[in-house]
Amino acid sequence: MSLFDAIRDAFALLFSGDAALWQIIWVSLKTSIVGLVVATPLAVLAGYVIATHEFAGRRIVIWLAQAALSLPTVLIGLLLYLMLSRSGPFGSLQWLFTQTGIIAGQVLIVLPVLIAFTLSAVQAADPRLAETAIVHGASKWHVMLTVLHEVRFGVMAAIINGFGRAISEVGCAMMVGGNIAGDTRTITTAIALETSKGEFAQGIALGIVLVAVALAINAAMLLVQGDTRPARDIS
Amino acid sequence: MNALLTIERLQKHFHQRQLFDLQNLTIASAQAYVLTGANGAGKSTLMRVLAGLEPAEVTNARFMDQPVSFFPYSRTMRDAIVYVHQHPVMFSTSVADNIGYGLKMRGVPKRVIAEKVDEAIAWAGIGHLRKSVPAYLSGGEKQRVALARARVLDPKLLLLDEPTANLDGAAREQVIALIPQLVGEGSSVIMACHDRDLIALPGVQRLKLRDGRLELREAHHA
Repeated sequence: MSLFDAIRDAFALLFSGDAALWQIIWVSLKTSIVGLVVATPLAVLAGYVIATHEFAGRRIVIWLAQAALSLPTVLIGLLLYLMLSRSGPFGSLQWLFTQTGIIAGQVLIVLPVLIAFTLSAVQAADPRLAETAIVHGASKWHVMLTVLHEVRFGVMAAIINGFGRAISEVGCAMMVGGNIAGDTRTITTAIALETSKGEFAQGIALGIVLVAVALAINAAMLLVQGDTRPARDIS
Repeated sequence: MNALLTIERLQKHFHQRQLFDLQNLTIASAQAYVLTGANGAGKSTLMRVLAGLEPAEVTNARFMDQPVSFFPYSRTMRDAIVYVHQHPVMFSTSVADNIGYGLKMRGVPKRVIAEKVDEAIAWAGIGHLRKSVPAYLSGGEKQRVALARARVLDPKLLLLDEPTANLDGAAREQVIALIPQLVGEGSSVIMACHDRDLIALPGVQRLKLRDGRLELREAHHA
């Protein structure tokens, strides 16, 4: 089968309404979005607190958060597998080979991305923003909301990066989810499986969905951002 | 003289170096002051200490006849003292929302905020900027928005760090014209600056920070 034939078959499969294919897409979107929804408030709060507060071990926390960015997802999957396996400390939850297990993995995968990007965005913010909020009577909570509003594009970039990392990872979903057809099979685990079987059409169809999702999210971010004029030319 | 703020002793150190050691600092009600001193004398730092943005060693402070703490900064002072940066920063909302920010933080009803913002916009002469994107305002326009944002809170003490620095022509004159109005409305104003026109404003007293001490000089009279 040529590449052209595979792409043609992939589009045919997508538009045929193949239930198994759309189930895989649904599982991927659901686990990634739920994982992101769980991780975002925790990570944004953590990123803000780390950026704005001095405490013992702060540099170590920053170092760990940034180091976790480069951890292979398969390693996170392995650690989570050991935690969730019957003899592991969280075995009683019975999350192994379930969508909840995949979501737990997605949370662990996106947390460092969100923390590191939020931390970076808040650290780069003009310190006068927080001071202006303070001198106008804002509570600590409102100072945080004000600063996060001012760095919202950085935080949104963090969320989009987190979503990209969640939906495109394969190692953790494979280990913790088990790639069970109709249940825990995600886009990436399905691509890996179908490609290994020589079934390129479904792999390409799912790859097209991944690209479409990435384009849609980035388009949404540009729309929200509104002003996309280039920076002033000062040369 | 009706004292608004009195501090028996105010010391500020940077590491081992003492920046200033002020004895018996008294700020009167409805009085304008200019705070002068050489670069590095600690003018901006003193303003920031008074605004609760910098820690310092403060002994026996009273504000509006109440004993107050600077660290943590007393709520009484936070509600009554507003500090304006040399280059005021604007939130990325509208000019009107920027002016109403402090009122919103105080839980003032929206209807009242709208009325006070309208009045402050008229006072500062910035009606044409109401829906502008604050990031694109000129330095003078930002300074007037910042003064309006402070004024809506009816501050007892307004701390202005170099309010006319980097402004020239009409923008500078417009800002200078607003200062006596603030004092006339009952606010005390301390301006860290070198601007001769501000120093020469009628009734303004001069505080000079030199060698870590504060000297008070008499007011000019109209």
